[in-house]
Amino acid sequence: MLVSVQWLKDYLAKADIKIDAHELAQKMTMRGISVASIRRPAASLENIIIGRIEKIEKHPNADRLQITHVLVSLEAGASTKQIVCGAKNIAEGDLVPVALPGATLPGDLNIKVSSIRGVESNGMICSGKELGISDDSEGILKLPKHSVVGHLLSELLGGSDDSIIEFEITPNRPDCLGMIGLAREAAPLLNTKVREPKITKFTNSAHRTSAIVKVEVENPEICPRYVARIIDGLKVADSPDWLKTRLQTVNIKPINNIVDITNFVMLEYGQPLHAFDLRKIESGGVRVAPCRQTMDFMLLNGEMARLEPGDILIMDGERPIALAGIMGGANTQVEDDTTSILLESASFCPDQIRRTARRLGIQTDSSKRFEKGRDLVAVATAGERASSLLRDLAHGNVYHPPIDTREEGIKEDRIALDMRDVRRVIGIESLTAEAIVEHLEAIAIVGQKKSWNILSITLPHFRPDLKESIDIIEEVARLVGYENIPQKITTTNASLERIDDAELDFEWRAKKMMIGLGFRETIHYSFTSEAWLHRCGIDTTGHISLKNPISEEMKLMRQTLLPSLLQTYQYNLNRKTKNQRIFEVARVYERDTSEETGIKETPWVAALLSGNVFPAGWRSENVAGDFFHMKGIVESLIRNLTTVYLAYEPNPKNRLFHPQRCATLKLGLKEVGTIGEIHPFTKKHLLETDEPVVLFELNLAAIKKYEKTITKYVIPSKFPPIELDVALVVDKNLPSASLMETIRNSGGGLLSQLTLFDVYEGANIPEDKKSVAFRLQFVAQDRTLKDSEITDLKERMLQTLKDKHDAQIRS
Amino acid sequence: MIENIDRIRAEATNKISDAQNPSDLEKLRVHYLGKKGLLTTLLHQLGTLDQDKRKHFGAVLNQLKDECEKSLRTRQHQLQEKELDKELKNAPPIDCTLPGVSFSSIGSLHPISRTIEESMQCMRQMGFSVLTGPEVETEYFNFEALNTPENHPARDLQDTFYIEPPILLRSHTSPVQIRTMKNQKPPLQMVAVGKVYRADYDVTHTPMFHQMEGLMVDNHISLADLKGVLYTLVKSLFGARPLRFRPSFFPFTEPSAEVDMQCIQCRGSGKECRICGSTGWLEIGGCGMVHPNVFKGVGYDPDQYTGFAFGMGLERITMLKYGMDDLRSLFENDLRMLEQF
Repeated sequence: MLVSVQWLKDYLAKADIKIDAHELAQKMTMRGISVASIRRPAASLENIIIGRIEKIEKHPNADRLQITHVLVSLEAGASTKQIVCGAKNIAEGDLVPVALPGATLPGDLNIKVSSIRGVESNGMICSGKELGISDDSEGILKLPKHSVVGHLLSELLGGSDDSIIEFEITPNRPDCLGMIGLAREAAPLLNTKVREPKITKFTNSAHRTSAIVKVEVENPEICPRYVARIIDGLKVADSPDWLKTRLQTVNIKPINNIVDITNFVMLEYGQPLHAFDLRKIESGGVRVAPCRQTMDFMLLNGEMARLEPGDILIMDGERPIALAGIMGGANTQVEDDTTSILLESASFCPDQIRRTARRLGIQTDSSKRFEKGRDLVAVATAGERASSLLRDLAHGNVYHPPIDTREEGIKEDRIALDMRDVRRVIGIESLTAEAIVEHLEAIAIVGQKKSWNILSITLPHFRPDLKESIDIIEEVARLVGYENIPQKITTTNASLERIDDAELDFEWRAKKMMIGLGFRETIHYSFTSEAWLHRCGIDTTGHISLKNPISEEMKLMRQTLLPSLLQTYQYNLNRKTKNQRIFEVARVYERDTSEETGIKETPWVAALLSGNVFPAGWRSENVAGDFFHMKGIVESLIRNLTTVYLAYEPNPKNRLFHPQRCATLKLGLKEVGTIGEIHPFTKKHLLETDEPVVLFELNLAAIKKYEKTITKYVIPSKFPPIELDVALVVDKNLPSASLMETIRNSGGGLLSQLTLFDVYEGANIPEDKKSVAFRLQFVAQDRTLKDSEITDLKERMLQTLKDKHDAQIRS
Repeated sequence: MIENIDRIRAEATNKISDAQNPSDLEKLRVHYLGKKGLLTTLLHQLGTLDQDKRKHFGAVLNQLKDECEKSLRTRQHQLQEKELDKELKNAPPIDCTLPGVSFSSIGSLHPISRTIEESMQCMRQMGFSVLTGPEVETEYFNFEALNTPENHPARDLQDTFYIEPPILLRSHTSPVQIRTMKNQKPPLQMVAVGKVYRADYDVTHTPMFHQMEGLMVDNHISLADLKGVLYTLVKSLFGARPLRFRPSFFPFTEPSAEVDMQCIQCRGSGKECRICGSTGWLEIGGCGMVHPNVFKGVGYDPDQYTGFAFGMGLERITMLKYGMDDLRSLFENDLRMLEQF
């Protein structure tokens, strides 16, 4: 909502009050009416001059440019300035704002003599947007006929002491979408009172309005009040300058006196009005009714709207003449020769206006106000105000009284306000009833003390947002000033019984572990590109898709974190970072009918390793990270977070991975993750790299059940351990894990450590065999082990290994 | 004999301290203390003396023997040290200015996670439990239960991602409040952190971002408590800094406020400040007293309980903390960015 400070003064009791716009903006902000910007329409425009376009020629080198000759001085003998202009809306004789060389436009644009496509240009003809006084960038700002060539634009725009404040009105305050409502908020901040426009009473006319038109509302729920007036004898003309200026300062284009007056009154009261050309109403009346069947309707802006059942319409017999609360129809719009109108001032169901406006994608000054609430009193007042202006400014003859569909009066409700509630919510114990009444009175809310703790509050008609006691408490808090509320540290018994989420804590443990293992955390969007998933070889059937994605790149909810890591890998590779260790902890999304939303979210950890394992340096080894380095990472993670062992089962089927270098991570029978080197094809064609890239992903929810927590401490043995090395020759294809399992099982409770420290194939070993060497450590809790004990144990162990795996001791 | 002993002592002391190498020292040891050494011989001769003299000379001789042994040890240590010194002097020096050799790398949290961690720690210390909740939500939890019925103007403020109505991606972390209150009787002190989603993508909006939401409910909670908790939280994140509470509107709180922090760049002066747009203040979150309708919806008695709620966008906090100026860079995961944390 744009507000001219000069205009605002019209609604303050002290009309000659001096207002510092910045101070007012600051105070309003602290009362909850926040400010988006403050513009001084004149200040920055001091060197903008009013000019008249004398002649327009075609630009010889550019079709879209024109050469203008502009008169900027009325002094005798003054010559025109040649200015190149790109706007289409100019004509010879137009009065326009001209920035001459040396002038500065908002945004620090310095105007200089320049050559535009080979033609000298001595300044610039400006649009409203370039001048920072409107958002209209479409064409040059046309100035009114009375503008004087050579004068400063700032003089025309109402002197340099005006400021335009742009307020951001929250949806609960439709009253502040009108100048009077804003004045009600501003008045106490300026130590004055609000003053509503004086409306001279109408005398009853000879003809009754109802003798000329009939007004019918089918259902008061869609239209609780409709006030219709007939005004005839009108003369459509330009509005007086003061009115045009008022509208222009807040970026509303003056059209003619009738339209301008309805706009002006809407800005005053926040109550939209509409004028129908009376001679075009064929049935002798209007009817407010919901649309019954789909139909097309031409709006007054020339666009066709597809009406749907439920839309509220103003009907003339069987044809619609306005889309209620949003826009009038082309069929009844006011034209230059209009002499009599039906002036509508009404209120419509906010929800329906909103639905219709949203569906049609039309937002008008009218719909914006109607969809946020209503002031049924202002319906009548605004109609009266507009009628009086039409009488005074457009020679209108107003029929009185108007037709008003509302028969019963408007009753303002009262509610009880308990002082204890006020104090309890705001946190100021010393707040008295008198202080509260005084605060509320400042913004025209009446309160009366009923008993020791109870106030009776009258809910004013102009504040549709105030309904219950908490709404009034908010008003009190706002008026006391949030800055005057103390700050306090308190606690509750809830801090004794914590309810922290254990899964979240586990995710954080995993993150911390990954950092310790040298990985950088990344965060990716939860939605990803179907095309990228396909290129990674991932089948996307069953992926959850957004109904309204931002783009194809952010459409499918992730079911695996790996493709995102690959995307980031590629991003960084393109920026010449070869050594990468990155990870992410995030949720994946899968359909699951047992969930309330039909979608199950599971936290996973995933990581990518590529390039050198050791940090680069003058003495570092060049060792490229491979499957086993990543497996080491997974093992550390599992060992530190959980009490389980994972099985690694070869998985040649995952299309993202190298078929011989990929394993499924299994916890018992459950698949809980994957580890592997990326498929050579993907590496070459998707990532365009030769470096090995290793990935893993692990379901954190699945291993959370086995979270490691030290529940009982084991005293380290006081007796010395015995170490033993064994090298076994076994079948080449025998998984080492089964050898280790056998050793562990036969080692009994004395085996305290088992390390596989060598794997060898080649000379001295048969071709279909390999040698695997282990270091075993034995220790007892209660005694020093005897060599003979270990020798016996070793013999038994070797026998078992021989029986089970045909393992020979390597000599 | 006494003179003899004194002479031997003087001579031995001199010779031992003059010895220049271990082999000379060994010779001296043999000379005095060896099997046929001077002192050994003298000790053997003690038996020929009468009892009184034997006692006297025995003590003197034994003392002399101890003294010699001690001098020998001392000189030996001195010689060893000298030799080691010589050896080390000749050892080749290293260039101690060469860079150190790392044998492992340290990773790092994403800057957003750092902000989350710091905030969580502060909130935990104030007695708040840290919770999480589903990101895929229903319209009920995301809107209705938060006093935002269909057609409520506030639904305009946020464009929500839908999977299939009424299933959506939560547009704020507030549904966690509702879920928690439905399961937990007051008093309640909780924060929820997590990803939230809005259909908005430009320089200042990403379709996914992180929010933190706090809620405190008991029979004595007021706006003053809200101010205290937020001040403490901001202090832990940015150091002590003036805060400004401005009345605002959210459907699920009343009274509501926007929280502004004094600009960290211009320190409130607002002089040509790009960070705060010359206002001197930075908007960091929204808050307010839980609306009685929200309490009614979860079965809390609004006559008995009051509570506050606040929410803040963690990307903004992160950018302000570290002086980052492009929101989208937080999700590009450029290692040159990540390695700075």
